[in-house]
Amino acid sequence: MKAKEYTDNEIMIIAASKYVYDYDVVFAGTGMPLISALFAQKTHAKNIAFVAETGPMAPEVVPTPLSVSDPRLMYKAVKHGSLRDVLGTLLQRGLVDVGFLGGAEIDQFGNINSTVIGDYFKPKIRFPGSGGACDIASHAKRILIITKHRKERFPEKCSYITSPGYIDGPDGRKNAGLRNPYPEIVAVTNLAVMRINPSTGKLQIIKKMPDVTIENILENTGFVPEMAENIETVEKPKQEELNLLRNELDPNKAYI
Amino acid sequence: MTELNKLNKVMTMKEAVSKFVSDGDILAVGGQNVGRCAMAAVHEIIRQNKKDLTVVGCNLSINMDILVGAGLVKKTESGTGNVEKFGTTFMWRKGIQEGKIQHDDYSHLMLVSRFLAGEMGVPFMPVMSGFGTDILRYSNLEKKCEIIENPWNKGEKVVLFPALNPDVTVMHVSKADEMGNIVIDGFTAHEPEMVKASKHVIVSCEELISSEEIRQNPALTTIPYFYVSAVVEQPYGAYPTSVYKYYDYDGDHVSLYQGLGRKVLKGGERKEYDEYLQKYVYGCKDFNEFLEKATTKERLKELEESMKRICGGER
Repeated sequence: MKAKEYTDNEIMIIAASKYVYDYDVVFAGTGMPLISALFAQKTHAKNIAFVAETGPMAPEVVPTPLSVSDPRLMYKAVKHGSLRDVLGTLLQRGLVDVGFLGGAEIDQFGNINSTVIGDYFKPKIRFPGSGGACDIASHAKRILIITKHRKERFPEKCSYITSPGYIDGPDGRKNAGLRNPYPEIVAVTNLAVMRINPSTGKLQIIKKMPDVTIENILENTGFVPEMAENIETVEKPKQEELNLLRNELDPNKAYI
Repeated sequence: MTELNKLNKVMTMKEAVSKFVSDGDILAVGGQNVGRCAMAAVHEIIRQNKKDLTVVGCNLSINMDILVGAGLVKKTESGTGNVEKFGTTFMWRKGIQEGKIQHDDYSHLMLVSRFLAGEMGVPFMPVMSGFGTDILRYSNLEKKCEIIENPWNKGEKVVLFPALNPDVTVMHVSKADEMGNIVIDGFTAHEPEMVKASKHVIVSCEELISSEEIRQNPALTTIPYFYVSAVVEQPYGAYPTSVYKYYDYDGDHVSLYQGLGRKVLKGGERKEYDEYLQKYVYGCKDFNEFLEKATTKERLKELEESMKRICGGER
């Protein structure tokens, strides 16, 4: 078989960027979420404002930040604020349109675990923890997850819920007390694009990546995902899109 | 003309830590990930063996991890233990996995809201995040939070978190004057609330400036002097993390430390990690000696030049 002309990360970054719209206030950390937001900014969403939890607001990002505290996220910002400015007065206040998340586990309801595997008080594996993720999942109008597709990463139920998806069903968020009860949640992986079906609160396969079969997806998912009526195939990246990623947005290949 | 108050809180880091940090303290650490971590203060705390600490902050980075590695931490409360691309905070992770450190999880907004309650002098702060999550459920504390109904909007839930007033905050900033007025250039992360909630604050700074300069540009004062107990002039005091407009982070040294922590986590062999502590912390009389051992003038110049390129010019 011929080697692919693009990497998994590249097609995921581009596929996720389609869910970022012009004029969005975008909350992303670093890594693939950041590159995806920047890709959107350079293509179809020139007027987005990017914010990071440490405080920078609407900067011109210099390639390639490795941390949310990286000075490369601070260039030409309109303000260098605080964590409370971003998480409180923008996010909790309801002014963030789309927030990017990742995690160790994502379950069928779109709940995310980035805290522990095993017993909370003496865990088998300890992960970094919520950071701003729980806040993003609680308040952003739309939530975008980018992650590699592995069976253990998509269990039926998270061993710990760090960030709320639809909790346990279509009205799970409303019943729990979250203020935006029905956000769009989309998960982009190297095999598929899944979206929460609002009538069941469960992840549904809406797109598959090129050269991937539905069987591939099912084999690598720990629960039985719902299927959309028409499952589209994600378009392969165009050469000019790859050039933008490789030459401008991530020249050191930190994330692609 | 009135003679304005002139407090002088300038001292050495050795004096500041000896005076304002005690065994058993709730210690808040300034900085985030690879930005403006209070490394000079943390090294001195290790040298003075201040133990049984509860370390708090939204993000806790290598500034916390090295305290754990030195065996001085019994508990942490934070949003994350994380250095992102450079990995998680491995000594902390190992401590929690082995049940040697108690940890309580918050979202960043929950924790900064606790500092906000602390700085406002109120007992708790409402937050609207986290309903339905395990963050609200699991804790080492008797009562981590309380969900109530909004008295003004029946049926709406609100979660309350108690004020957090650290015994002492250590932080590294761009500029301060001898009174303790603080100027932070670049992001401020959790620090404005954390500092104003703290009983004592030790500030190290890249540049000690005159109070006259502060008074000429009061809009630039990030935090006024009232909260600050000690001011220490310590150029490169955040190394190997960065200070905006001064120097970039040194990814090589961050990776060196993280590599040793990762080894301990994976295999349990502490020899090389302990050698790091011995060479770079215990074996140094102060932070300048650490800088001499850990880096070179040429390397620091490179980090300064790198920061200039990122900022688009001189500060």
